Amino acid sequence: MNQENNSRRDFLLTGIAAATLAVGCNSKKDAFEAGAEDGAVASGKKIKLLSVDGEVIEVDEAFLKPVPHLPPVSNTEARIGIPGKKFVMVIDLSRCKNLKHCQSACNHAHDLNPGENWIKVDPMQSADHTAPYWEPTTCMHCDEPPCVKVCPVDATFKREDGIVLIDSDRCIGCRFCMAACPYSARVFNWGEPDILAEVANQLYSAETSIPQKKGTVGKCDFCADMTREGMLPHCVSACPNGVFAFGDMNEDTVTNGTETFRFSDLIRDKAGYRLMEDLGTKPSVYYLPPVSRNFPFESGLENDKTQNS
Amino acid sequence: MKPQNKSIATLLTIIFLLSGYKGFTQTAQKADLSIAVNYFISNNKVPRLMVKVKTKVNGRFQNVAGISLKLFLDKDTAGKFIGKVVTNDDGEATAYIPPSLKSQWGNSLKHIFVATFDGNKKYESANGDVTVAKAKILIDAGSDKTITASVFEMKDTSWVPVKGVDVVLAIRRMGADLAINDTPAFTTDSTGKASGDFKRDGIPGDAKGNIILVAKVLDNDQYGNLSVEKTVPWGAKFTMVNLFGKRTLFATRDKAPLWLQLIAYSIMFIVWGILVYLVFNVFKIKKIGEDITAGIKKQ
Amino acid sequence: MENLIINEKITKGQLPKNSVSIANHKIISIADEKIISDLLPQKFGKAGKIWVGVLTAICLVGLYAYYRQLRYGLIVTSMRDYVSWGIYISNFVFFVAISLVGSLITAVFRLAGVKWGSPLTRIAEIIAVAAIIFASLIIIVDMGSPERFYYLFIYGRIQSPIIWDVIVITTYFFISILLLYYPLLPDIQILLRFKQSTGKRLYRFYSFIGSFWKGTPEQFRLSEKAINILCITIIPVAFTIHTVTSWLFATTYRPGWDSTNFGAYFISGAFLVGAGAVVVAMYIFRKAQHLEKYITEDHFEKMGRVLVLLALLYLYFNMNEFLTPFFKMKESEAEYLNGLFSGNFAPLFWFAILIGMIVPTLILLFKKGRKPLPVFIAGIMVVVGAWFKRYLIVTPTLLHPFLPMHDVPESYRHYFPSWEEWAITLGSLAGAMLIITILARIFPIIPIQETITEQHETTK
Repeated sequence: MNQENNSRRDFLLTGIAAATLAVGCNSKKDAFEAGAEDGAVASGKKIKLLSVDGEVIEVDEAFLKPVPHLPPVSNTEARIGIPGKKFVMVIDLSRCKNLKHCQSACNHAHDLNPGENWIKVDPMQSADHTAPYWEPTTCMHCDEPPCVKVCPVDATFKREDGIVLIDSDRCIGCRFCMAACPYSARVFNWGEPDILAEVANQLYSAETSIPQKKGTVGKCDFCADMTREGMLPHCVSACPNGVFAFGDMNEDTVTNGTETFRFSDLIRDKAGYRLMEDLGTKPSVYYLPPVSRNFPFESGLENDKTQNS
Repeated sequence: MKPQNKSIATLLTIIFLLSGYKGFTQTAQKADLSIAVNYFISNNKVPRLMVKVKTKVNGRFQNVAGISLKLFLDKDTAGKFIGKVVTNDDGEATAYIPPSLKSQWGNSLKHIFVATFDGNKKYESANGDVTVAKAKILIDAGSDKTITASVFEMKDTSWVPVKGVDVVLAIRRMGADLAINDTPAFTTDSTGKASGDFKRDGIPGDAKGNIILVAKVLDNDQYGNLSVEKTVPWGAKFTMVNLFGKRTLFATRDKAPLWLQLIAYSIMFIVWGILVYLVFNVFKIKKIGEDITAGIKKQ
Repeated sequence: MENLIINEKITKGQLPKNSVSIANHKIISIADEKIISDLLPQKFGKAGKIWVGVLTAICLVGLYAYYRQLRYGLIVTSMRDYVSWGIYISNFVFFVAISLVGSLITAVFRLAGVKWGSPLTRIAEIIAVAAIIFASLIIIVDMGSPERFYYLFIYGRIQSPIIWDVIVITTYFFISILLLYYPLLPDIQILLRFKQSTGKRLYRFYSFIGSFWKGTPEQFRLSEKAINILCITIIPVAFTIHTVTSWLFATTYRPGWDSTNFGAYFISGAFLVGAGAVVVAMYIFRKAQHLEKYITEDHFEKMGRVLVLLALLYLYFNMNEFLTPFFKMKESEAEYLNGLFSGNFAPLFWFAILIGMIVPTLILLFKKGRKPLPVFIAGIMVVVGAWFKRYLIVTPTLLHPFLPMHDVPESYRHYFPSWEEWAITLGSLAGAMLIITILARIFPIIPIQETITEQHETTK
């Protein structure tokens, strides 16, 4: 009994988040397990586990991580980004039928107020006789971001991994970035955000973008806290049609959770493009044209009515 | 009862019914949970259990967070306790097999993993289980860029090859694995082997061109999830080209372009130099005036 | 030793012709005394008191509105994610524009040798100082987190046009103060003679800022030199302040802002509204302080001509700004341009063009139109037209983003300022006028010393 209690104490592995958690018995650096990579500094504290052969082996605790999430990174780290990564998103317009699961997952994950959408799904039609289609837009995380150019106080910044983030503890609320963004990706917290006190009292982290603060700008953050742990952004995993694919440009791979593509092949084969290329902003979000669609445009109209009233 | 009282009572009843309606349904009808237990082995080392809890809301499954589950090996009795876990936002929880179950583990070639939930205010008690036979997977990469995975099952005391198991051959990537060619899965033959050709030439690896190959058996009815990795130097050597830290208009304040700083600060320096001179000039004028005042006083 | 020499020089009457030493009371004629008594700042009369009272009341309402904005956030405004800049920014641009007048009347006229402009210099400088103060205040009002205002100085990022604006507004403010201060010095000496009528506190203030001015040739020489340097410096700085303000818009991609014409367009507009503000102020001060002898009909005649020139110049830049995009009708700009020319904003757009430029020009082209009252009316038209023009520069563009306005609440798709915005904006306009009024109460609105000097020169 006593023995059992001890082992239980060792093994109250409550609420582990990552399905792909590194079981780092072979404690080599695993480039694909972002969570393991960042936390993979051997803690020295060993834990005894049973192996498949029935042997008792010791594993460094750091590779098991019985914590739900990594602790929030420091502001300095959040400003630099995840080393060696260059995140990219591919949005397949032929699969979108304006379900808006991306939007609700995003709003829920970031505790956004109603009406304050970081992801918008726009009905697009370039001319009278061209075909309409649904176009989800996020922050484009431009490589030459016009919003960052104009920020007077370094409140929004471009990271090494390509993500453009906002430090709400720095933002003065001048809204120049909103005027500068041609994609209208940025939203402003005009009033006190209507969030639970326990959320509001959290220490702000630029990677989680939580909590949103009155008088500061917010926008899609590519779920930098999730990607740091090697997970996909909320919109990607929420979409049942696999519209969004996300990945590391440096690995030339994107995934929508169920399908995985070689990024360069996907863009080549489906003639991927970026929005407003002529502006020279060099977005990190690519679009696949709405050809051979899975759904007719009209299938999204009903949902549009209810959500946009 | 006076008519007035009667109407008030009716009103109260209506209010009570309206306000209490939701509550009645909740207490009367607890929701059902579905518990799925998944079994994983990475590189034939440590078995891992992942439990996923869902419930049906308006005909659609949703993940349930904060569900406390007990995990057992083979039977839900105290001596076979694996651990207690709580699901996260994705309805998932993970556990490993503790050394205390060493003898129980060695007893059999097949095991049942049981997850039980005792029920709470919102949900009925529920349980889930998975039966898994001991198996292992090996990976071999030939010099002709052919990848071969072999699946074995423990029979009596030796490993025997298994036929007809679907194996995914892929390259490890962030958040997911990229198949080595366009075939989604390969099936093992009578020798337990499944082979595929590597068709991802030029895919970026690390600085030395190393990539990690992975062979996986996914959600197999008998063996659960097995995976094994192997590092091969088949990728393109990757060196990060990074604009970060360069002096650009979108860099941070300490990385402002030099030409901009030169222009801006030289203009500021000149103009403010003039302004400082003009303020100094006021003091010069003041000095003259004060000297006169002093002179008059002396006289 | 040196003092003695100077005193000696004064007693011997070896003064430069353009300097009159009032300290010695010897050279002052009866005519000069008349000028001084005419131009001395006057205590507020009944009308003046009402005027100040009304302005203060408007300011207080504005302050209350700002208190609400601080408490609840910018949610009290009608600005939302698309129209993220509203009348605060329009008003900011308007103030910056008006402040340019200090450099026009004082520096340009002075360097160009325009003598008749000298009675107008103080008015222009006072307007400039008041406008630049409120330009900086209104930009703080527009900030979502004003308590972090100092971040602009400790985390300032030189790549951002906002920082350029912060730098140049600060610089322009100091130059304007200096340009107001230097020519005041000789007048302060005159003011200090009237200890009795001044009142104790004001007298102490005068002593503090200028009791050291004795009117010695050396002091005059230093002051003249300083004013010359200031006049040369203020012109490029004034051009910069308004060009940089235009760049806040022109450095974005938005239709209607993405224009290389913007700097010149803003500066020409600023000169026009500045000159308009000066003629309005001239007329009011002339009436209120009975300055008909000093601000003559001739001044209105000449300022009328200046206004015509500036209005036509601004019209020219407007043509540049709107005709070429109209000719092309690019897809991204078409809706915006149609909105201005014939859509929702058309009434305001044509009002601003007609009332702000064309009608004043038509009035002022005629000799009879350059009498004080018509010039005053034309000036008001110019100023009002200019305010709405600034509104049109900011808002319509923001209502025409590249991607459709979708997935947002209905209130995000249009803009009409809330009462708080109006109150704060009107409060800031009233505040600027209050500062002008107070400065006119403290200082002579027409430079006394300069008028005397000029009088002497003409009689000779």
